[in-house]
Amino acid sequence: MNVPIRVLGLATSIFWIFLIAFIASAAYSVKDLNFDVGEPQFTTAPGGQLMFSLPLYINNRGYYSLKEFQLSTVFSDAEGSEIARDNTYVAVIPHGENLTIIHNVTLSMDSLLENGEQYLFNDNNLTASVTAGLNFAELFPAQISTNFTYPWGAPFYNFALGQPSFGRFNVTHSLVTVPMSFENHAAFDLVGNIRIELYDGSDALLGESQTIVSAPQQSSYNGDVEFYVPLNVASLSASRSGRFDVYFSTPLFEYGPLVIPYG
Amino acid sequence: MVEEKKKSKNLVKDISFRVVKASLKAILIYLLYFLVAPMVAPLLGLIPGFMESIEAFIIIYIVLMLLSDLTERTIFQCFFDTARALFFMGYLLFSMGDGVINTTYQNFSLTVNLTLFYTVAVLLSLLGFAKSILQAINFMHERAEASGNLQL
Repeated sequence: MNVPIRVLGLATSIFWIFLIAFIASAAYSVKDLNFDVGEPQFTTAPGGQLMFSLPLYINNRGYYSLKEFQLSTVFSDAEGSEIARDNTYVAVIPHGENLTIIHNVTLSMDSLLENGEQYLFNDNNLTASVTAGLNFAELFPAQISTNFTYPWGAPFYNFALGQPSFGRFNVTHSLVTVPMSFENHAAFDLVGNIRIELYDGSDALLGESQTIVSAPQQSSYNGDVEFYVPLNVASLSASRSGRFDVYFSTPLFEYGPLVIPYG
Repeated sequence: MVEEKKKSKNLVKDISFRVVKASLKAILIYLLYFLVAPMVAPLLGLIPGFMESIEAFIIIYIVLMLLSDLTERTIFQCFFDTARALFFMGYLLFSMGDGVINTTYQNFSLTVNLTLFYTVAVLLSLLGFAKSILQAINFMHERAEASGNLQL
């Protein structure tokens, strides 16, 4: 009986040594793992979508490979409703290798606008929930998660149409000039078309105008919109008050009408 | 008289050998902990209080091991070995719970699943437990055999 007991003791000791050596080397490897996050970028993608790209730099100088690396990001609005979700999966990150992963999250402007027009005209905070998981050294599945707020800049921040000024264009038409201004706070350049309908107080359409706007990110736009209104005493008197119906059309989204009263 | 003197000399020799052996083993274990601890510290340091509890665990483990070595070839060795195996399993059970460790640092939440390690460690300590039980059975068996031979 002594021999089996000794063999059992020896086998247990050997297994313990292996286990401790493995744990120690795996834990020591953690300090040789280097994760770095690059500057996030917003780009426009075809089909009215915005692409949020986050570069990730992984330098695995540890002794073990990282397996089943998965990065998942969920964008949600202030009320908690989900706006966009995307995953990035890398099967193996071998040890001793540098890897750059671009994590893309596609944000659909249409679905963003479904949650409210404030995303077009007011700056907002989106909540991003990021979860990264991996299987370290084949034995330790680990997961790290965090939440942070991502500032959403409105493309038509502070959009305003001024008071229309009437002037005579020719014997039949009057020229109505309306100042238009906004600030593009978005993380993308804005190029699009704005169509404005001018209505008088009795809801009669006086005129229509279209303007192509181009506002690089973080810039202001100031311009005038011109309407040619048939010269008519009745319409002129009625046009002291009324409303504008504004329609926005860009490669990323279509929105309208935005009703702005005047007078 | 000479034989008695020889017997007591052997006993002193035996006890001093046990003490040296036990001390060497204890030093070796502590040295192993001393070398391994800085390696695992970056990972385990994320869990508050875990490194301190490991230190307490090592001290109790070494004390039980010392006692087991000092009481070698007695039934008490089996008791201390069993106690050591049970203590190890108990420590794993209380410190790790279900084997999933959750910790938060600033805005980050880290979850590490140590279930597999936990299972292997528990299985190995069960082997240690089985060994100490077998040792106890063997000890009792040998003692019974020796007393049987004396009666004959």
